[in-house]
Amino acid sequence: MSQIAAAEPWPENATLYQPLKEDQILLSDCASSLAVQAYLRMCGLPVQVVCRVNAEYMSPSGKIPFIHVGNQVVSELGPIVQFTKAKGHSLSEALDDVQRAEMKAYMELVNNMLLTAELYIQWCDDATATEISRPRYSSPYSWPLSSILAYQKQWEVRRKMNAIGWGGKTLEQVYEDVSQCCQALSQRLGTQPYFFNKHPTELDALVFGHLFTILTTRLTSAELAERIKSYSNLLSFCRRIEQTYFEDKHSVLPSFIPSL
Amino acid sequence: ISSIHILDPLPMKGPELGVQADDIEPPEIEQEPKQEVLENKDVVVQRVHIDGLGRTKEDLLTYEIAGVFRAKNLIDVMRKSHEARQKLLRLGIFRKVNVVIDTSRGEDALPNGLDVTFEVTELRRMTGSYNTMVGNNEGSMVLGLKLPNVFGRAEKLTFQFSYGTKETSYGLSFFKPQPGNFERNFSVNVYKVTGQFPWSSLRETDRGVSAEFSFPVWRTSQTLKWEGVWRELSCLARTASFAVRQESGHSLKSSLSHAMVIDTRNSSILPRQGGLLKIHQVSVYISDPHLNLVPTPLTDVLSASLWGGLLLPIGDKPTSIADRFYLGGPTSIRGFSMYSLGPQSEGDYLGGEAYWAGGLHLYTPLPFRPGRGGFGDLFRTHFFLNAGNLCNLNYGEGPQAHLKKLAECIRWSYGLGIVLRLGNIARLELNYCIPMGVQSGDRICDGVQFGAGIRFL
Repeated sequence: MSQIAAAEPWPENATLYQPLKEDQILLSDCASSLAVQAYLRMCGLPVQVVCRVNAEYMSPSGKIPFIHVGNQVVSELGPIVQFTKAKGHSLSEALDDVQRAEMKAYMELVNNMLLTAELYIQWCDDATATEISRPRYSSPYSWPLSSILAYQKQWEVRRKMNAIGWGGKTLEQVYEDVSQCCQALSQRLGTQPYFFNKHPTELDALVFGHLFTILTTRLTSAELAERIKSYSNLLSFCRRIEQTYFEDKHSVLPSFIPSL
Repeated sequence: ISSIHILDPLPMKGPELGVQADDIEPPEIEQEPKQEVLENKDVVVQRVHIDGLGRTKEDLLTYEIAGVFRAKNLIDVMRKSHEARQKLLRLGIFRKVNVVIDTSRGEDALPNGLDVTFEVTELRRMTGSYNTMVGNNEGSMVLGLKLPNVFGRAEKLTFQFSYGTKETSYGLSFFKPQPGNFERNFSVNVYKVTGQFPWSSLRETDRGVSAEFSFPVWRTSQTLKWEGVWRELSCLARTASFAVRQESGHSLKSSLSHAMVIDTRNSSILPRQGGLLKIHQVSVYISDPHLNLVPTPLTDVLSASLWGGLLLPIGDKPTSIADRFYLGGPTSIRGFSMYSLGPQSEGDYLGGEAYWAGGLHLYTPLPFRPGRGGFGDLFRTHFFLNAGNLCNLNYGEGPQAHLKKLAECIRWSYGLGIVLRLGNIARLELNYCIPMGVQSGDRICDGVQFGAGIRFL
């Protein structure tokens, strides 16, 4: 980040952009956006959430979410963490090198497993793609543009899945992968309030973003949510973060479905 | 392979195919044994031949040459034949048309009968072209394929493909006139065009299809066009302003437009007489009445032009950056950088919803008239005065406020330069410009400015 960006304090009018909440946004984007929102709340940095139909195209990297701070535009959690660090706000300063490496490893795990599984279920599972993903993705546009964009996105994601070797997986295998990822997270969390004991880090924000969104989003099958619910410490983790950081009038989280 | 078609005078019963021995030799003009005042001599056109047809269908041509039969005396025959020749040439399917008028031969030849023969050379079935273009920091290779007279009735199929270091574009177009009524025609286009606009840090990709229908009404030419475009906007650089970034994304535009043209100029690039009036309106927005007056047919020409445009959004939706008007540059208000006038954000020009621009030119031949009669005739010196304004309108205020806004902070410039005409399509200019009335945010190009283009103010 440039020196100039570091020098300016965090402005009041920082904005976070994402697709339309009610009709357009998909599971993976919602999870990523929630992760960034959680991180900024944990840092105590105010940000206003604005929904735009073309948020994906406005983003410099093509990924959701992105923030507009001063006259800088930064997208995705990784670069945003770097950006806030340059401004003097960081959640992982207290960690030593070993812990930081561990944190990075777990963040990679979440990105490679959970995020990829979300994309797979959205676009490679025909039932979900037809009933949920394509209609939602194309809702702001009129025909024939709506069909063109939806199929183009689906084809692009499927190509990426093939490239990373997920093309041949079945839905069951994907659910298994998610379970294993959750097991690793659950073991690491243990009985602590946050992954690195007392204080949340960007890893907590990322895990919260994904797990909470999966738990509160209705898909064609409730299997994914069920897999997560079997880990009670992850559920209480999500509840804790929701209560600590999102219990204010500005919070627009969907209602949390309590465990059975 | 050429065949000779013999057509009966009106009413037509249909062409007879066949070769007659008389007609194989090229006819020659016979010398009359005594002088007669030919223009007063009554004649009858007995036969009209068209020689040299390959794939062209005869029914298309009978309409164009029908006028020749109505000629009553020799001068009339010559005039009508010349008109028919012009009509055959404007179909765009013949490379050459020669007219031969001769007295009738054969058993049924009348003493005052004439045979008129049109010797035509058809264009080749397919022509290809290859060009390289360099401009705007991009080099590109342009391949063109043209199929004139595809099915024999003056239909034209054109394909163009441009492959550049930065962008790729292509287009396919099909044109069909109504047989017998060339000015009534329709054309269908399919295209994908990508453009980069560094003055706005914007990149635009249009994929579209359009259908156009033209027909003459009295002395005007009317065109109705429907166009459907899938438009994709994106930022050209990471440093693009947020105002431009907000416009990124996809949109679908469907427009219905109507244009009316009256063109009596004798040349579209450096006309010496005549005028062009073009009024163009589109269902989504109204734009561009052109008014180009050129009075004197002397070697010095005074030319005035006026452009204007207005963009009215329907409902509350804001206008898109790709629909707004841009002003400035060597083809509009000289002395300013390309499209670098008016509303801008962080160096990116966003365009405006209303504009006007006017130009006054005095064209004179080059001093000392070098190369007169040849190359030198393509050049002119010109003295110009350009003025204009571009702004956004707040539609809550009334028209009075709008006019006032367009009238204040007028940008204008004056200067002189050299104009070169390229064929009948384009022109090059090299000018020395002095911009005035520059507002903060405008980018100027004072001093020497070079311009190339088709449409100049």
